[in-house]
Amino acid sequence: MNVIWNIASTTVGEAIRRRVLLVILLIGVLLLSIIPALGILSARSETSITIGTMFAVMRGTSALIAIVLTIYMLPNEIERRTIYTILSKPVQRWQFLVGKYLGAVLALLLMIFMMTVFMLLLFWVFQHPSIGKLAEIAKQPFMYWMEMSLLAAVGMFFSTFIAPLVNFFMTIGIWLVGTVLNPLYDTLSKNANTQPLMKGIATIVTNILPNFANYDTKNPIINPGQVIQNGALYNWATVGYTAMYVGILLLLSIVVFDRREV
Amino acid sequence: MLKNLQALWIGIVVLLCGQAALQKAFIFPTWQKNYSVEAEGEISAQLSPDQILLQLFGFREFLAGILWVRADGFFDEGNYDAILPIIKLCTTLDPKQIDIYATGMWHIGYNFTDEQQRSDRRYVASALALGKQGSRQNPETYELFFETGWMWYHKIQDDPWQAVKWFQEAHRRKDILPARKNLLSHAYMRNGQIPEAMEMYFTLYGEAAKSANAASHDYSSTQIRDTLENNIDTEIVRMVQRGWVAEQKHDGSFEKGDYDANPPFDTGFSCRVVVTAPRVVHFEGTWNVLPVGTRIRVVLRDMDYPGAKIAELDWDGSTNVNFEPGVNQTFMQDDLYVKNRRFNHDVDMSKDPTMYPCVSKTYLLEFYYSPRIAPPHIQDKFSWNGEGMKDKVFSREDIRGAKEFTYDPFPMASDHDKPLAPITIKSPGQRVFYTTLTLTRDQLLRLGEWAGSRSPSVATSNYKQSESSQEADEVIKVPTLRGK
Repeated sequence: MNVIWNIASTTVGEAIRRRVLLVILLIGVLLLSIIPALGILSARSETSITIGTMFAVMRGTSALIAIVLTIYMLPNEIERRTIYTILSKPVQRWQFLVGKYLGAVLALLLMIFMMTVFMLLLFWVFQHPSIGKLAEIAKQPFMYWMEMSLLAAVGMFFSTFIAPLVNFFMTIGIWLVGTVLNPLYDTLSKNANTQPLMKGIATIVTNILPNFANYDTKNPIINPGQVIQNGALYNWATVGYTAMYVGILLLLSIVVFDRREV
Repeated sequence: MLKNLQALWIGIVVLLCGQAALQKAFIFPTWQKNYSVEAEGEISAQLSPDQILLQLFGFREFLAGILWVRADGFFDEGNYDAILPIIKLCTTLDPKQIDIYATGMWHIGYNFTDEQQRSDRRYVASALALGKQGSRQNPETYELFFETGWMWYHKIQDDPWQAVKWFQEAHRRKDILPARKNLLSHAYMRNGQIPEAMEMYFTLYGEAAKSANAASHDYSSTQIRDTLENNIDTEIVRMVQRGWVAEQKHDGSFEKGDYDANPPFDTGFSCRVVVTAPRVVHFEGTWNVLPVGTRIRVVLRDMDYPGAKIAELDWDGSTNVNFEPGVNQTFMQDDLYVKNRRFNHDVDMSKDPTMYPCVSKTYLLEFYYSPRIAPPHIQDKFSWNGEGMKDKVFSREDIRGAKEFTYDPFPMASDHDKPLAPITIKSPGQRVFYTTLTLTRDQLLRLGEWAGSRSPSVATSNYKQSESSQEADEVIKVPTLRGK
């Protein structure tokens, strides 16, 4: 366990020092800071537009950070040959992978936390919400952190056998598809014009691909008044879903990385 | 190398099955119920898969805002057609923006007109469909229920129980503005539910008086209270003078008494219709009632217009917002304005062939008058249910008989744990005036034997050419309302 923790803490340190990640974070923060001005687009739905757009920016920025962070994780170690130093010590390959992954997840937690604090501060300055409202808003970034943990696992899995550039497009593609799985499946299953074959494919894809739409729970936050049934259970189920899917991807990564000649 | 690879693969398969089961059995259904932006997926269900992609990535509200700003520009330019797809897109992207629904349904229902400013009523069902959709998507606020009710009350004016239904639903929402609550009383009146209207007035007066007493410096509260007091006074006077109170005794008091609505007044309707040019129709005739204030509805429609009812359409028949309704169907509705007990009116449909395609072989001309939608000073003579109105030839009590209308209330968040009982609205029957004439396509378009100088003409059996000249109409003669 010590080994995994050491690798994880080193990975967090590396992530903080990487300029490209800091630049992405800075762009995200800058985008967040101009969002309160966009409330003018709708006089009556100012709060909805402000929160909705802030969440969208945070989600996009976090996803970009998660992808860039993970796609270079193994290739950089191999390219700089630092991996040989690590693996020559009593460190198992799976421990190395799990440590790296945990480091990425912690780094994401740190960055999402920073963005959340900034977002809440901005929201408080421009909209003067109650503490209860701020607490409600703060729930969604936690879901995004889980989403990005899953995305990091996808990036990590591909990085065990794909070059970074291809990995970037693969991971971002899977994320984009995964973010619309629920609405897409919902629509196709209800649309009378959808062919049965299409519905079947949609069912399979929805149940196999990582479903990032599960983490998008902002609707009751930006449109208050909706009744949420089994909200806590849903959150726990999502945690379970994330754990299972991350487990699958890590196990697959371990299998692939174990057979790779490094 | 990994020692137990088989166990690893088994673990992967088990986890894969586990996540799929969790996703299918619990996460997706709960997400759909709790977190999907649109209620029941009804908007996306109307879209093609490529359009669904526009809903991506959480920028929905932002994109909808930008698009709506663009639509505002189209309004300014008068480019109304361009606004329609934006309305659909915006409501898809953000079904919670009630302004888009409210403005959209007003736009669809009111702004598509011909050269003579007659609304294209083929769009009304779509406007209502948008209102219904918006209400389902935003069940917590009164606004779209009120807007839909207003569409029924002000624009459509038929099936008055529908306005009652929507205003009642608006009233169930706590955010309804006090000044808007009066409309439910007016809707009850129009539906002939006089006791319910008065009860509502008194309830509202009680609320308004309480709120005015609590904040005497609040001008708006005192004004609402005073308006309600005035309305109650006026309605009580009307109920007595029109003979409504006497009627409720059912002992012949009304028939024996001296009331404004007794004895009934013969409206003496007669009409001649002349097609003066292709798609141009001239109406002239008599309506022996009052010099000003009466408007007789005239409808010219395909004889086989789908869903057509007596002097109206099946306004509530659409669940989808259709921006190209009835492209080959003709439905024209206008009012014959009566002055000095006569009317002379031209309806020119020739400049709007897309609105009046006239492809059907036969056309029905309907003439209709309901005292329920008459202005109060005329209603004083006819009363609410047409007790004071008769027409020797065209009075009808069968076509607008008593009706019971039942609907399921729209559930709100607070209703989720209790079943809502259906609500029944009882609408008393009314005496109306109604008659029809027919025209053929050849007559309407001046084709075949009507292509020459001979103008096709149809008239009611009692029509007599008026002796008074057109110029005499310049002076309005004002007879007394109380004269028998």
